[in-house]
Amino acid sequence: MAGLRPLSPMTNVPAIETRGITRVFESRKGFLFGEVTRTEALRGVDLSVETGSIFGLLGPNGAGKTTLVKILSTLLLPTSGTALVLGHDVAKETAWLRPRIGLVLGGERGLYSRVSARENLRYFADLYGIPTLEREERIRAVLERVGLTESADRRVEEYSRGMKQKLHIARGILHRPQVLFLDEPTIGLDPKSARETRKLVRSLISDGVTILLTTHYMFEAEELCPELAILSKGRIVARDTVAGLRHLVGGDRTLEAEAYGFEDREVETLRRLPGVSKLVSEEYGPRTRLTMRLRTLETTTDDVQAALPGHSELAVRERRTSLEDVYLDLVEEEAA
Amino acid sequence: MAVEPAHASRSRATQASLRISLLMFMADPQWLIPSMIAPVVFGLVAFELFRGAGPYFLTYAILGAGMMSMWGQTLYGSGWAIGQDREFGTLEPTIQSPSPYVYVVLGRVLWNVVSGLFGGAIVYLVVVVAAGSPPAVPDPVGFVVLFVFVMFTLASVGILFSAAWVYTRYSGFIQNVGEFAFYVGTGCMFPVVLLPFWTNPIALIFPPTWALDALRYLSIPGYVGFGWGFWPDIAGAVGTTLVYILIAGTIFRRVERHVLAKGNLSEF
Repeated sequence: MAGLRPLSPMTNVPAIETRGITRVFESRKGFLFGEVTRTEALRGVDLSVETGSIFGLLGPNGAGKTTLVKILSTLLLPTSGTALVLGHDVAKETAWLRPRIGLVLGGERGLYSRVSARENLRYFADLYGIPTLEREERIRAVLERVGLTESADRRVEEYSRGMKQKLHIARGILHRPQVLFLDEPTIGLDPKSARETRKLVRSLISDGVTILLTTHYMFEAEELCPELAILSKGRIVARDTVAGLRHLVGGDRTLEAEAYGFEDREVETLRRLPGVSKLVSEEYGPRTRLTMRLRTLETTTDDVQAALPGHSELAVRERRTSLEDVYLDLVEEEAA
Repeated sequence: MAVEPAHASRSRATQASLRISLLMFMADPQWLIPSMIAPVVFGLVAFELFRGAGPYFLTYAILGAGMMSMWGQTLYGSGWAIGQDREFGTLEPTIQSPSPYVYVVLGRVLWNVVSGLFGGAIVYLVVVVAAGSPPAVPDPVGFVVLFVFVMFTLASVGILFSAAWVYTRYSGFIQNVGEFAFYVGTGCMFPVVLLPFWTNPIALIFPPTWALDALRYLSIPGYVGFGWGFWPDIAGAVGTTLVYILIAGTIFRRVERHVLAKGNLSEF
């Protein structure tokens, strides 16, 4: 197997550590003397990821996830702040870091499409200085690992999106990095390819390598990442385990009541039920949905039904607070 | 203990870059076909243009058309190779690898030198077939050696163009505007001394001007050129080429730093 190279467990240095990272992009509209627009992609990110763990970074489009990953993988300099990977400064010690980190940006680009997957991997194996005697075996092993053995000698332009994604991952792990950055590895993939990619990521975790995974798919983060942070508008708005984040937004349990409108006094009655930490009202066409987060087990669906008499089309259901609920709550709070 | 990563080798980076350039070239008819057809056209046009212009018109035709063919292939191709990396999105993973990017660029440039020589060889064959006999060259070995050296002087300018491509995606603008001005200004088809005098100092900034003048001194008896002779031309060509390589080596690191600060590596 093409195993990755875990760091020594002896080390206490976090695999990834950032302190007050900011990044401002400037773009000019028009030619030469056009107006300069400044965009703050990151606004003081503090983050620490333990060695050998997989850490999820959740956030909506434009939250700054890719910017942070590019800074950590030495492809972008921060405007201010410090970022350390394996205890080394990403802005100053790029030569030391680059052979030790892997980056998977994914997408349709980033590969030499007119040549085969094997030739793409040979090229990058040479750039990473993989010993010539090991190169072919290493390539064979990663191709097998990502499931591209059969199509290794086909031109990449003939590949599906999912196959290209696998090739991106193969390239990312070919040199056995100690830290791997996976930027939205399943974005745009069909469900089958996405599932295969997640399976592959899980297998990488078992190798003990440190992985930073960015995604905006909640189930993916929940499935793969024991710990995660939510990034919104360039700031980390929360960081915890999935259970911890559920607690942060008001509890594990969520009760929903849906009908053709509620009166204010009914909403207030529900708000006063035992254990209700948060209540949000949303309109869905002619219907209204009240979503309640509960910290305790006291209030049940029966209590909610009893508090809302006279609604012939009332629907009440209970579910576990999902990571998506947590995410939406936190991102909306940040936006507000 | 953690296993130490493999050490990136500069020569392997250059070899890998040369190899992928060759494979991409072979796989893409967009490059393969014109690079074989253009020298044929250039050769025939130059043959007709110089026909009857003195006893060494064949040498003039071969040098003119050969340079015209190699100019685009070597210099233009070297810059565009990096533009392609931008287009393919491979600039980011390549720069992110531990190999210094200038050695990857070197591989691209070397491939363009090789393909440029291939174009030069086609021109030679076309002109010889059209004339029915090879040109009379006083020192054939010296001619070939100097011909290859001219390619390297072109490549040294190509490396600087490559740095511009790493710097910004708008480098194509500079190349498109400058291509024919450089081509005429460095004396590819006609000796620079035929141009207005004020253009000569500008032309001498470019290594190929010196090398081409030396090549004409070597292969055309009685050639006057700049008037200072063969060896000063060689010294000028070597000197300016070294300066270009030195500048390229220095600025590549700064350019890389600048693009990391600017964050435009993924733009195309």
